[in-house]
Amino acid sequence: MASVACNSSLSVAAATVQCGAGKKRSSGGRKAVACPAFEGLSSRSLSLRITESVDLNSELVSKRPESRSVTVCSLKDLRDRIATVKNTQKITDAMKLVAAAKVRRAQEAVVNGRPFSENLVKVLFNVNSQLQTEDIDIPLTQIRTVKKIALVVITGDRGLCGGFNNYVLKKAEERMKQLRKIGVDFTIVSIGKKGNSYFKRRPHIPVDRYVDSGTAPTTKEAQAIADELFSLFVSEDVDKVELLYTRFVSLIKSDPVIHTLLPLSPQGEVCDINGNCVDAADDEMFRLTTKEGKFSVERETVRTETPEFTGVLTFEQEPVQILDALLPLYLNSQILRALQESIASELAARMNAMNNASDNARDLNKSLSISYNRQRQAKITGEILEIVAGSTVTI
Amino acid sequence: MTLNLRVMAPNRIVWNSEVQEIILSTNSGQIGVLPNHAPLLTALDIGILKIRINGQWSTMALMGGFAMIDNNQMTILVNEAEKAVEINPQEARDTFQIAQKKLAQAEGRKQVIEANLALKRAKARLEAIDATPPSPVPN
Repeated sequence: MASVACNSSLSVAAATVQCGAGKKRSSGGRKAVACPAFEGLSSRSLSLRITESVDLNSELVSKRPESRSVTVCSLKDLRDRIATVKNTQKITDAMKLVAAAKVRRAQEAVVNGRPFSENLVKVLFNVNSQLQTEDIDIPLTQIRTVKKIALVVITGDRGLCGGFNNYVLKKAEERMKQLRKIGVDFTIVSIGKKGNSYFKRRPHIPVDRYVDSGTAPTTKEAQAIADELFSLFVSEDVDKVELLYTRFVSLIKSDPVIHTLLPLSPQGEVCDINGNCVDAADDEMFRLTTKEGKFSVERETVRTETPEFTGVLTFEQEPVQILDALLPLYLNSQILRALQESIASELAARMNAMNNASDNARDLNKSLSISYNRQRQAKITGEILEIVAGSTVTI
Repeated sequence: MTLNLRVMAPNRIVWNSEVQEIILSTNSGQIGVLPNHAPLLTALDIGILKIRINGQWSTMALMGGFAMIDNNQMTILVNEAEKAVEINPQEARDTFQIAQKKLAQAEGRKQVIEANLALKRAKARLEAIDATPPSPVPN
């Protein structure tokens, strides 16, 4: 009897240790099984039940103290786990809501920029119609043989947004491989902390400049980037500037895309690397709405009206000079727009990731509660059996 | 007829109201605009914009752009606009000195272009503060 007691207390101690370790998945042995680890909960609780019934049926008296204390330990462990999962779920829920609110703000920023871009397009159109016949030479539209490309990579500042940053960086790697293959030199302008740390870890990739993007892109930031690109291009350090950013398609879909930023086409067209061009007057807007209690996105194409001016417009300077003043503005607004879209995509990606995390937490919570209740019931059954057994002994 | 002025930056509308007189720094020198001006399109240098409302002059630093007057509606599109009252004089002076130093140290074409742009902006900011408002003009 004494030896049995000693044994059981030992095994209890062992079991407690394993409970404390918790995360370690120990193999074999009843005591290990008694403590739920983080994975494979359902199978574990099943085997736990089996051991318990074995306990109760065969060596009822000798094993009793062990089985009870083991159960208490795992019950507490389970309770702690449930509390942890609940807390995590609260955090992910909150992060999702914060991201949703920020998407709204990002959308407002785009809407606030509308009057500017509309007017810009109007003037660009009119100046262009005046310039159709003239042969113009503007630094920003100069097409040269491409020897070196500046690749502007826009990533986010933070993680926890699913594959958002990875997709951008993968696309960048892909483009760099292509450029190496065709023997074109390149340099990177990295925007966003995630991209910065990625390129800093890879010293073999030539990086011209690291820029941090904030949570709300301002004209000043866009201006700083535009200045950098402008001087890179005008000084003929690079012959082409490509912009890699995440295009915001919808809340569940965003595309990393590559656009040619410089040389600008004097018509204000935006071209992707495949040569598909979009007219400046065609503009897409995204709008966050709620549909049946869930967030959704409407994307609409806006065609800016380009009316002729009333009266005869006097050009204070040569039209070429005016275009020269216009195009940097256009460049700037293009960059700002890319930054805004990228941020909107990041927030949408975060919303999704956090939504999935909350769902997972809910599932985990459910299965944990089931195994917790199961153990609790088993414990109660055990206690009733004890009482019944005790009463038969006294009689 | 009254003259309406709208100053727009990519992210906001900086100014939108009726004014009496506008003085612009264009690429080919300063021009003044009064109501019923002929339709005009002009490129703006990095420089200052002066606006007169009720005899009071207010100043703004504009970071390059263009202006368009059509039918008594003046639209100015700029990269960035800073109202003189919102500029910190000390900061503006410091930035100006830093920009001057940078230009002196600049090497290579790219750096010179960059430093020149920065210096021009800093100068415009300084001018905006220093432009002492002319004495109120009686209406």
